[in-house]
Amino acid sequence: MKFDIVVVGAGPAGSSAAITAAKGGAKVLLLERGPEPGSKNVSGAMIRLDDFSSVYDVSSIPIERKVKNVDLILLSDSNRTRISVNVESNLATAARLKLDKWMAQQAEKAGAILITKTTVLGVEREGNEYKVETDRGEVRADRVVLAEGVNALVSMKANIRPDLTPDNAVQTVKEVYSLNKDEVNKRFGFKADDEGVSWRILGTDPVPYAGFLYVYKDAIAIGAGIPMKILIKRKITPYTVLDEVKERLGLNDLVKGASLREYSAKVIPEYGFPSWKACSGKVYLAGDAIGLVDPLTFNGIGPAVASGVVAGKASLESYECSKYESELMKNREVRRVVNGRPLVKELVEEENFKYYVKTINDLLHGWVYSDFSKVKLDTSKLLKHLLLGIGVFKS
Amino acid sequence: MRVEEKLYTLRYKKDEQPHLAIIDPNKCLKCEEVNGVPQPCISVCPANVYSWINQRIVISYENCVECGACRIACPYSNISWKYPRYGLGIALRYG
Ligand SMILES: Cc1cc2nc3c(=O)[nH]c(=O)nc-3n(C[C@H](O)[C@H](O)[C@H](O)COP(=O)(O)OP(=O)(O)OC[C@H]3O[C@@H](n4cnc5c(N)ncnc54)[C@H](O)[C@@H]3O)c2cc1C
Ligand code: SF4
Ligand code: SF4
Repeated sequence: MKFDIVVVGAGPAGSSAAITAAKGGAKVLLLERGPEPGSKNVSGAMIRLDDFSSVYDVSSIPIERKVKNVDLILLSDSNRTRISVNVESNLATAARLKLDKWMAQQAEKAGAILITKTTVLGVEREGNEYKVETDRGEVRADRVVLAEGVNALVSMKANIRPDLTPDNAVQTVKEVYSLNKDEVNKRFGFKADDEGVSWRILGTDPVPYAGFLYVYKDAIAIGAGIPMKILIKRKITPYTVLDEVKERLGLNDLVKGASLREYSAKVIPEYGFPSWKACSGKVYLAGDAIGLVDPLTFNGIGPAVASGVVAGKASLESYECSKYESELMKNREVRRVVNGRPLVKELVEEENFKYYVKTINDLLHGWVYSDFSKVKLDTSKLLKHLLLGIGVFKS
Repeated sequence: MRVEEKLYTLRYKKDEQPHLAIIDPNKCLKCEEVNGVPQPCISVCPANVYSWINQRIVISYENCVECGACRIACPYSNISWKYPRYGLGIALRYG
């Protein structure tokens, strides 16, 4: 079988590439290894609704709840601070199985053909076309989009990019507890069934981690991401860290009586494009496959959709690599992740991370007690990171 | 709750063919000398897939949640890491 474009992976990046190319009139095949789109995918899933509107019909987007508050929780050894940011619109929680299925369905409606339960094993150039080898046989295409997520085996095998290392990967674990809707509303004090909240937790003990809590319609998701090199160095497992987080935040009480419905894990990339190539010949990479996640906020779906759209366009119009990579850099979502990397790299360093969580905690506690004697300002550190931060805000 | 109990919440369809394998057991011995126990693959795995028994890594591949961490963590690139075939392995409800 021969297609204009084969897209590997029906996650946010792949479906966005497929719908873009299919809308442009190309004959598109979207291949997904899971039994259905989303069934292999893990994320918190706080989404920004605006991220989808450029390519999808968002009137039918399957959200769980609208996020009314994002709570930032800082936990250092001695202090705890909680800041609640009121959200006017645009943020929602979504479950990946429903969200990814919805995106893939819209790609199908636009004319793409979706085949699931099929894992792509490799892509090889043969003359002017590509042979896409799968565990169910081979297909051919003029152009290929690799939107295979963080474990980009095909992109690595084709030598387009290297593997991640423990220095630039975060390991996350997540638990989902199910409860009925009324009980969820009661425990969080929600006044309506569609009201929701997200927590972002930055903690320093027993090791530095970034935690999260998301509220689904009838479930609560809790998770934590820990830099992989810290797990290795401290010889601690990710679930031990998550258990500690739950303990320290009293989350066991919050989910009391609820049953654990799902336990999952996934790596988050902290490195990638433009240090890595995003393209080779007429093969275009997008999303987590080129590391487009902000690891401090776990925002990866927005950049995946945005880069997927660019890849869809690139495959439709047969971009040269230089053009594809410059179009990626022109995209705001992509640029934000890329420009944030130097700062993120600094902030996830154990010493810096601990410093900021503790200092912000001490500052706020100092303000409350009107006693700033505990606050230790490291001006050279602050200045360095401020300068890096300005680069992010300007992008 | 033990990890093994948490894993019971997952829907698995087992691929009869293991999707994970140790390439060279001698490298794991070396790894133990250098890193001690638990070795990196054991520390990062959320599903207790790897155990160090009688100076060998034993793999319970059917517990794997397909996160990808062990491959990245292994300092000797000693894990042959593939996806289960035909979409077998885990299937999540929430994700
Ligand atoms: C715990 C956690 C919490 C997160 N929270 C958030 C959040 O709240 N908000 C947010 O925006 N982002 C969040 N992220 C990040 C977000 O999940 C990712 O950035 C996003 O899913 C990337 O999309 P993608 O399409 O590039 O890759 P993926 O979503 O990983 O999709 C890749 C797809 O390709 C398929 N695939 C892979 N290899 C093959 C192959 N060889 N053959 C066929 N199919 C293949 C996979 O099954 C999958 O469906 C979170 C991540 C984690 C791990
Ligand atoms: S980390 Fe790699 S080399 Fe070390 S024990 Fe595990 S598989 Fe073997
Ligand atoms: S992929 Fe993840 S769950 Fe599977 S063995 Fe490796 S670390 Fe463990």
